[in-house]
Amino acid sequence: MTTCLRILDRDALPTPKDEQWKYTHLGRALGARLLNVQPLAQQQILVHKTVGEICKEPEKIVWKGEAGNHYQSRFEIVLEDGAQATIVEFHEGEGAYWKNMSTEIVLGANARLNHIRIQKDSVDAVQTNMVHISMERDSHLNSFSINLGGKLTRHDIHAVLNGSGAQCQLNGVNLLKGQQHGDTTIIVEHVAPHCVSNQFYRSLLDDKAHGVFQGKVHVHRGAQKTDGYQLANTILLSPMAKMATKPELEIYADDVKCSHGTTTGALDEEPLFYLRSRGLNESQARMLLIQAFIDEVIGKITDSSIQTRIKDMVAEWLKKQLN
Amino acid sequence: MININNLHACVETADGEAKEIIKGLNLEIKSGEVHAIMGPNGVGKSTLSYVLSGRDGYNVTDGSVELDGVDLLKLNPEERAALGVFLAFQYPVEIPGVNMNVFLKAAVNALRKQRGENELDALGMLKLIKGKSKELGISDDMMRRTVNVGFSGGEKKRNEILQMAMLEPKFCILDETDSGLDIDAIKVVADGVNKLRSPDRSFLVITHYQRLLDYIKPDIVHVMADGKIVKTGGPELALELEEKGYAEFLKAEEQEKAA
Ligand SMILES: Nc1ncnc2c1ncn2[C@@H]1O[C@H](COP(=O)(O)OP(=O)(O)OP(=O)(O)O)[C@@H](O)[C@H]1O
Ligand SMILES: [Mg+2]
Repeated sequence: MTTCLRILDRDALPTPKDEQWKYTHLGRALGARLLNVQPLAQQQILVHKTVGEICKEPEKIVWKGEAGNHYQSRFEIVLEDGAQATIVEFHEGEGAYWKNMSTEIVLGANARLNHIRIQKDSVDAVQTNMVHISMERDSHLNSFSINLGGKLTRHDIHAVLNGSGAQCQLNGVNLLKGQQHGDTTIIVEHVAPHCVSNQFYRSLLDDKAHGVFQGKVHVHRGAQKTDGYQLANTILLSPMAKMATKPELEIYADDVKCSHGTTTGALDEEPLFYLRSRGLNESQARMLLIQAFIDEVIGKITDSSIQTRIKDMVAEWLKKQLN
Repeated sequence: MININNLHACVETADGEAKEIIKGLNLEIKSGEVHAIMGPNGVGKSTLSYVLSGRDGYNVTDGSVELDGVDLLKLNPEERAALGVFLAFQYPVEIPGVNMNVFLKAAVNALRKQRGENELDALGMLKLIKGKSKELGISDDMMRRTVNVGFSGGEKKRNEILQMAMLEPKFCILDETDSGLDIDAIKVVADGVNKLRSPDRSFLVITHYQRLLDYIKPDIVHVMADGKIVKTGGPELALELEEKGYAEFLKAEEQEKAA
């Protein structure tokens, strides 16, 4: 899928043969109408911070979608050595459209990027987003992504840790309902030694929603003292919801600390009973437990006002789904 | 007052079958009284505590349970809590991500609401939590953590008693609250319980050890075996049990009955 989407050729949409594992049927999601629409001229947004530039205020970038359109978009975030920024990437829209994006994040030595992606595309939209990240020495990325919208979304993240001491945090939350399909696919490549990478994803799937998480940590020969972690937990709120999870480690260095863990299931009965025995009714108890489950990921966002905004979005979603 | 009459209850096993654990249990605890239940492992003591507090998967097949004349078995766990049933768990559950203060506030206000009382405001809540936690020697640090996560065995049990003190129950079940406590902590917990003793509150204390009963003096001691009460007596019964051990005690009982 990766190569095909890069070429952006609609005649060469990926086939099951192109996918190693879970095939995302893009053609079916797009339907004949969107497949045959000519893409609009490429939209491009470039955020560029020069050496040592420090931006304290979060910068918000909105990607809109309109019914019937096919977008080929390019988003570049380049932080030169020592630059610091917080970027909020916001997706919204109406009707059926296809956003096919290519995102490039380049962090110079000692750069600091907080990247928050809020995906609230229309429930009829398709978003395919290929993210390529490259990180130089001692750079830090704290990325958080929340997927709420979209009929079908695929967030492909390929991070390459080129410089020693780089720290890459990829956190995310998926809240899917109806017949939504949300796919997060991550490859983190530890090329340099002494780097840290962390993937922390939590999902709530209701109705007939379908989630996919495939995350891989690839430690190259010579990338000693790597710390690489992956954690993906899912709560199924309905018996018809489905989650496919595949964590992977591929390690060619001998002095590394890597681990992964995944869980998928209904909400635990024991904590639910504990709370109810203290007087909370069933829906209060469920709300408290589920909110706490998601808040643990949201807590990784450093900006507290963004944290609050995202917690509110989650609360709103939960109120609709749980009542 | 709690009345348990000819109670039979089953648990749902992992393969979906019903297994009878409580087999015709009778028990009456008057308001203001403390009763202890002792008995070997696996006879159904914790199961009884779950049945009384309304846990899913524990089904009553016969008999009745009334608290001050109200049929408990028709009610769900939160309604029983509002009526005044409180279970201090044998194994308190960890609740990741839920802060102690948030949890206590939610519980206190949920109960007050069900009982038709005004919810406490932030200041009232703070005072209540501070006062009660200080009495039980619970540190501020513990109150900032998430519920039971990473708590030591003793801290978990103290936390149960803290909740009991805050929720003002009428019928308290303490399931092995002494296990995992060191000698000093047993005293703290027992003091906490003794402070709550009052003419309109009754206690069911499940324990394996006489030591707890040295501090929480029971009015009546029951021995439970195979899902029912097989012997009832005064505090001296606990001493006799401790001396003989269950096996010998139960054998002697059987022989007595046969004779
Ligand atoms: N869900 C279940 N499925 C199958 N058996 C169960 C289940 N729950 C309880 N039991 C069985 O019921 C019996 C009573 O268990 P219970 O926990 O009530 O014992 P207890 O008297 O509290 O023991 P202890 O002193 O060890 O705490 C045990 O044999 C236990 O294995
Ligand atoms: Mg027990």
